[in-house]
Amino acid sequence: MGLRVAEFTFLEYFASSYGIPAPRHLAGTAEIAEIKKAIKEWGGVALVKPDLLSGRRGKAGYVVTVRNIHEALREIKRVSSLEINGQMTRIAYLVEKIPAKLEMYTAITYNTEFLSPSITVSLEGGVDIEDVADEKKITIPVDIYRGLDAYQAGEVLSKLGCPQNLISILSRSMISFWDLFISTGMESAEINPWIITPEGKPYACDFKAVIDESNYKSRIPGVIFPEYPENITDFEEEMNAWDASSHQGQAHVSDLGGTRILPILFGGGASTIITETLEALGGSPLFLSDFGGNPPYERMLGTARRCFDYHLAHAGLLLILGGKANNTFIDVTFQAIADALMSYAEEKGPVNIPVVIGRGGPRLVKGILAIKQVLEYLKLPHVIFGPDTPVTLVAEYAAGLINAVEQIKEDQNEGSQSLGSVKKE
Amino acid sequence: MKAASLSDLLKKSDRIAVSNITGREASKVSAISQKYCANISAGWALGKGGQKIETPRGIISAFATFEEMLRMTPAERKPNKILVYSPPDAVYGEVKEIVKYGEKIVETIFIVTEHVSVEVTAKISQICRQANIDVIGCNTLGMINTHDRVRIGAVGGESPEETFTPGSVTVISNSGNMVNTIASYLISAGMGTSFGISTGKDRLILFPLKDFLTLAEKDENTHLIVIYAEPGGTYEHDAIEMMKKNGFSKPLVVYVAGEIAEKHGISLGHAGAVVEGRKSSAKAKEEAFDEYFSIEAYKPGKHYRKTEQLTKALSRGIRVQVLHHIPEAVTLIVNTLGVKKDIGRTKSLHLNPWFSNLGDLGRHIPAELSLAPGTIPAPYSGQFKEQMRTFLHGMVRQPMKNASHSSSNDGVTPRIYGYSLMDIMKTRSFTAALILYWTGELPRDQFEERLAEMTLIASLTNGPGTISAQGAKLSASAGNNPNTAMIANLASIGIVHGGNGSKAVEFLINCFEKLDIKDIYEESIDVKELASRIADDFKKKKQAAKEAGLEYARIPCLGHPVFRDDPVNYDPREQVIYEFIKKSGKVNIFFEFYHHLAQALKDNGSTRNVLAVNLDAAIACVWIGICWSRLHDKQMTLKRAIDIPFIAFALGRVGGGAGEFLDHHDFGTEMDMRIPVKECRALTRPRKLKSYKA
Repeated sequence: MGLRVAEFTFLEYFASSYGIPAPRHLAGTAEIAEIKKAIKEWGGVALVKPDLLSGRRGKAGYVVTVRNIHEALREIKRVSSLEINGQMTRIAYLVEKIPAKLEMYTAITYNTEFLSPSITVSLEGGVDIEDVADEKKITIPVDIYRGLDAYQAGEVLSKLGCPQNLISILSRSMISFWDLFISTGMESAEINPWIITPEGKPYACDFKAVIDESNYKSRIPGVIFPEYPENITDFEEEMNAWDASSHQGQAHVSDLGGTRILPILFGGGASTIITETLEALGGSPLFLSDFGGNPPYERMLGTARRCFDYHLAHAGLLLILGGKANNTFIDVTFQAIADALMSYAEEKGPVNIPVVIGRGGPRLVKGILAIKQVLEYLKLPHVIFGPDTPVTLVAEYAAGLINAVEQIKEDQNEGSQSLGSVKKE
Repeated sequence: MKAASLSDLLKKSDRIAVSNITGREASKVSAISQKYCANISAGWALGKGGQKIETPRGIISAFATFEEMLRMTPAERKPNKILVYSPPDAVYGEVKEIVKYGEKIVETIFIVTEHVSVEVTAKISQICRQANIDVIGCNTLGMINTHDRVRIGAVGGESPEETFTPGSVTVISNSGNMVNTIASYLISAGMGTSFGISTGKDRLILFPLKDFLTLAEKDENTHLIVIYAEPGGTYEHDAIEMMKKNGFSKPLVVYVAGEIAEKHGISLGHAGAVVEGRKSSAKAKEEAFDEYFSIEAYKPGKHYRKTEQLTKALSRGIRVQVLHHIPEAVTLIVNTLGVKKDIGRTKSLHLNPWFSNLGDLGRHIPAELSLAPGTIPAPYSGQFKEQMRTFLHGMVRQPMKNASHSSSNDGVTPRIYGYSLMDIMKTRSFTAALILYWTGELPRDQFEERLAEMTLIASLTNGPGTISAQGAKLSASAGNNPNTAMIANLASIGIVHGGNGSKAVEFLINCFEKLDIKDIYEESIDVKELASRIADDFKKKKQAAKEAGLEYARIPCLGHPVFRDDPVNYDPREQVIYEFIKKSGKVNIFFEFYHHLAQALKDNGSTRNVLAVNLDAAIACVWIGICWSRLHDKQMTLKRAIDIPFIAFALGRVGGGAGEFLDHHDFGTEMDMRIPVKECRALTRPRKLKSYKA
């Protein structure tokens, strides 16, 4: 799991702790007098930026130059309400505007080719690195134990044609960047751009990173990562917390904004394929889910309960589907789903949607019988497939079924016919 | 890469050691692996040294550390493959130990653990590379070599042989589940598998696709490779680059999942399935494969004319857009390139519902969606039959400390099996609520409810002399509180006083179990003939036992100490219930059976007169009637059906005991239950005491 970090957090906590030169900054929530003072001290000019978890703020025109308090206050207010790619701004903040003679790009990530960390450097800073020609960027592996050394950094800069007088100071900056990366359990980090002033002083002028929450180093003393007003649903928020509460079995969901099928899916691969199939055929899944990884009974019960509490009332079809499990006990997972369904019906009232099931794996027969018993008790229309029917065929069938059910509802809404009189096609 | 072939990663002669072997997953998987291929030589788990893992092929010893395990294992059994099942925070330490002590012994480490940090993964990669040890994972499910019939990890689940038939396709998959799923699909194309490999799909895949392909190309058994890939990383691009550069002699069938990740900007289930940069997207991977194959993705229904161009393209491979098109694409390649099929019999993949009950909905939807149940294939069909014979079809046991099926309380409404307690209070009787609580369902009708109530009333008392009433009176006499007296009352009933109804249930089920009776009030079977047979059988057993001087099993609930001297005896309480059933125009076959049995025992000379069918039998007949349909449908345990008549008697009798307590408490004298010393008899002991010396 990754925790995304934006520039404001970098400026607040990391830059000074790791000796990375960065422009001065001030939260947009500061007192007017403080903002006035800052603009004055920064040479009568500042940048207003939104603190949000999305890149390309500059390209979107969301980074604005202001020259007095009135402009600053107006832009702080405006920028605070902006949204990019579904990400909402937490606060606006001001940074010192750094004059640029040269810009540099640096990124450190774990490289799937080298199977180690790598650093990518380009002197074409401030642009999307994938738009930079290959000969103008260099990626080198970094020894995970020894880290980035000045010699390596200098060599890269030299190859890129960096002015000699800047190599030393930029190398030091890159090493500080590495120290930050490796000390805080980051899985990727980017400083783009470094702005090098006409005096030859570098400043880290934008930053983004993902911290690996599986790494114990991510629990950094004294650092409080801000909570962003992310565009996630209450369901996602609750499921994220539930997922993080245990490593026994997956409880991963991503909201898709669908309206029809409630998918209880198993397996990282199968869930992806099934969801894609449902989407392609108008199944309109409410979310993507992966509940595999052999969850114990209590875990699966909690997962299913949450799914039902949030979504069963407005779902048109319940789909319980996964491939042929290697590890997951089908009886345990299906019994838990069946119990959650039964509890829901007891506590919230009758359920009346079709249920499509497809699964294979250890103790399948017991699992199918456990859930079939509840479906029959609740009188839910159902079709159950075994592992001899491919998951994608089951997903196609579920999409076809929900489309037919929706059609019946539409016909009924038109008021011409009751359910009982709709003729078989 | 140390391995020079796929079988170097896993072969028959390998010896496997499992870390954290006493853990939930590891112990379970190890037991199944031992049954399948018996290739685990030992295991270790910190703090668990000395424990034993029982498997169908003998015991696996768990040592305290890797070093101890290595030291204690004889040379010929020292493990060359390691399966790591340790928790995420322990994985780095385990691998360091393995490298430190296992260098030159260990060839490959498979790391199953999920949520290992990417930094640790990179460190593992580096130290193992330096030690010349291959690492597969993290988050791999393992690997299977079907020709050698060996596996490491959990590939194939509980019965690997069910899915993995030896054949000529190697499956390489980012998803563990898809290894199994794809292998099962391949059977429909007449193809078996040579290797099934789960690469894992963490941020870093330590044994990348290009290395697997390099090894698969050299594998004699592998003629075709199926790849399942997801977004994230550049492994596929690196593999394609390698194949383009070196040439590659075996065709691939590729499925890339995960376009949805970019479309919605969401994360997928696997930690490494993250789009970062254009090359790592599903789309980019699909395009790269299509470009390498130089043929567009497989189209079902399209007529592929065999041309030189097609042959050339398919010798590199083809991509499928839908997972279940893999067998068709494999068939296309096999037919075009003339690859021999592994299995003669093939069956196309299709919708085969094992169960279908769409009810009303089925009549309103298009015919192609209104599926009739298909055929459940072996071995599942047999397993269903077997399971249907067991209680609740083998319902899963679970910790019940804070859980209950029978009651719930959501903070607003207390419920019994989902029914609001307040609603029951308003509309139903105590007896109806008891039936619900004990059986899970409300009584079917007033008749059933009234019968149950009669058994409770009848159980209240049979006078102050019964031992249960005496229990309550003794307690009252000692000055106890009512609850203690009620406990004393309950403590004074047992299997021969009150509990005999349970024996009657067992007896009746034994007598009737072979008859498929759905409703005991509706069946018209010849219980007289059955009673006669059981009576004769009893007589034979009784005679044989008598001749041998042995005790014999008596028929429960026949006879009564009070109602015993008439030629035909009746327990009047039983008669009330029996007559009520008759007057309701119904017949309870168990009751009928009991009366015929009492008569048949007299007729064949087993008893001197017709014994009374006692109240315990009546309670048993009533309650087994209430439980029968659930028992018949395997919705209730036999144990519960046996316990309920006893519980009904106990509940009635404890109410009666409370009545005795109240009476005795109000009117009795202190310690009036005491027996004066002079009335107590001293018996001499029939043995010599001389041998006991002070």
